[in-house]
Amino acid sequence: MQFFLELSVNGLLIGGLYALVALAIVLVCKATEVVSLAHGQLLAFGALFFYAGYVLLGWPLWAAGLLGLACGAVLGFAVERLCLRPLIGQPLFSGFLMTFAVFMVLDGIFALILKGQAWGFPDFLPAGNITIAGARVSLGGLSSLGICLLVFVLTVLLFKYTKVGLGMRATAESHKLAQGAGINVRTIFSLVWILSAVVAVVAGVMLARYYDIRFMLTMVAFKGLVVAMVGGLDSLPGALVGGLILGLVENVAAGYLDPYVGGGIMEVAGYILLLLILLVRPYGIFGLVRIERV
Amino acid sequence: MLPCGTFNQDYGRDTAVIRTRLQWIITILALVVLFTFPLYGAHYFIGLINKMAITIIAVMGLQLMMGYCGLISFGQVAFMAIGAFTSAILSSTYGWPFWLALPVSGIVAGVFGIVGGTPALRIKGFYLALATLAIHYIVAWLILHLKITGGVVGLHAAAPTIGSFAFDTDETMYYIIVPVMLLMTYFAKNLARSRIGRAFVAVRDNDLAAAVMGINLFYYKLLGFFIGCFFAGIAGSLFAHWMMFVHVEQFPLADAVFFIGMLIVGGLGTITGVFFGTVFISLLIEAVIFASPTLTGWFPAMGIAPAAALGASAFGVIIVLFLIYEPRGLAHRWNIFKASYRLFPFAY
Repeated sequence: MQFFLELSVNGLLIGGLYALVALAIVLVCKATEVVSLAHGQLLAFGALFFYAGYVLLGWPLWAAGLLGLACGAVLGFAVERLCLRPLIGQPLFSGFLMTFAVFMVLDGIFALILKGQAWGFPDFLPAGNITIAGARVSLGGLSSLGICLLVFVLTVLLFKYTKVGLGMRATAESHKLAQGAGINVRTIFSLVWILSAVVAVVAGVMLARYYDIRFMLTMVAFKGLVVAMVGGLDSLPGALVGGLILGLVENVAAGYLDPYVGGGIMEVAGYILLLLILLVRPYGIFGLVRIERV
Repeated sequence: MLPCGTFNQDYGRDTAVIRTRLQWIITILALVVLFTFPLYGAHYFIGLINKMAITIIAVMGLQLMMGYCGLISFGQVAFMAIGAFTSAILSSTYGWPFWLALPVSGIVAGVFGIVGGTPALRIKGFYLALATLAIHYIVAWLILHLKITGGVVGLHAAAPTIGSFAFDTDETMYYIIVPVMLLMTYFAKNLARSRIGRAFVAVRDNDLAAAVMGINLFYYKLLGFFIGCFFAGIAGSLFAHWMMFVHVEQFPLADAVFFIGMLIVGGLGTITGVFFGTVFISLLIEAVIFASPTLTGWFPAMGIAPAAALGASAFGVIIVLFLIYEPRGLAHRWNIFKASYRLFPFAY
């Protein structure tokens, strides 16, 4: 029981971070209907710039954080403006392939910057452990989960209660109708990309705290995609629930099954979960079921 | 479009792939050059052509699935791995001859494709892409953890033999790989023009409309998966016996991405596009590998050979440019070029 509790708590802590990555993907998908892989790179570059500010330049935490966020925002804006805007009107899948291509381009640059090493990331959150219900929980992990939930809630509030958010929701509903109602859909696209890049950078910095800045950090985008699809590609709560589920399933499965099958369950558990969910609910747990017409 | 003064005077001529005498001459000359190439070509190029031909077979399967039937798959490399491991297991563990293991591994990969393709009945487009991505990871994990596949050690795959003659060099394997590639091309080209190919196109364009027209979606989607994965299995088997060794790391996810990139560069929904795309991307990757020592000289600070990183970046840039400026790929350009030279003195 103790073992199970610790596994699930650690899973939930990581799951919150997955949820944030998924949130970034869902935001873009909702408004622009493009499923994006490029966020894997956006979050890695955000973490890289945070590292540059915090460690290499020795800036205070808030300044480094702002630098990371600003860099992510600029990068997100650039991706939308340069690569995805020319594709408006093309089949949706080419949008996904475009983000994949962007992923590859930035991946090469990322690898060149890293030079094949892992950069140890500073632990900027409080250290130490506390015990909740008999399970030891690291204070840093808990506060990073807290930050993630805060960002999540802020994003949802922005979506729900501001004028820009209203524009984003209208755009998500229908591009044409939104345009007809006087919303500048292109501006909304840019804004959504900037917002989602910022969210991704927060997730990236937190993830880098766990995994350091290493080449595989960008692959978390695939986990984000899995989460987004498990929860439903157009559902914000789905991202949160999906993230927590994935973190939980991954950790528990790895803890219990790895000794029997010789490791690596962590990598596949999410995908098996995804296949099962897709077979039962093709649009994800909270996804909107679309009725198709010819 | 046919040149001025060329007419198809009977139905057979009208449906032929090779129609005019000039096309026959070009085809025969090209075949002669292709089949005598190992006699005078450099060793490096023979290896390169072998690799390209294997890739062409796999990409052609993906073209039938993705370009014709609209089943987007990141699993092509996984099914190639299934074919390769089946072939290696059959030939080394059970002592089957290569000539039997080759078609059987294609069929085994196809059957796995049907199993893996069942989600396609409920989901499509991007969802299917991610489901096949999941299949890739699961297959790679299984290969690494099962006993029969040799796990982390990998498996030996014997060179094909006829009597006492062994096809154990690049030059001799060339004479197996290239004919198989031509055969598969012939098969794919004719399949695409048949009832099945037209049904695939209907499913791709709108599967509900296709179902309304009386196309059995269940049958054709699974058939699409079977054929695509059959091609992948054949490619994998050839690869295994050419390398004479199979290991799960020979089948990375990056290759599946490259395959899709080749289709985009070549053009979705054309068989010629497969050749354009594969040759273009393969040469691009070769060029990056070729240039990487020079580049390392320019940027000594990079330390490790930046070939892989630059290759990925160059590939990404090419895909971005193609998606923006020529989404229909090189095959479309080639058709425009053909039409213009056939009409030459006239504008249209």
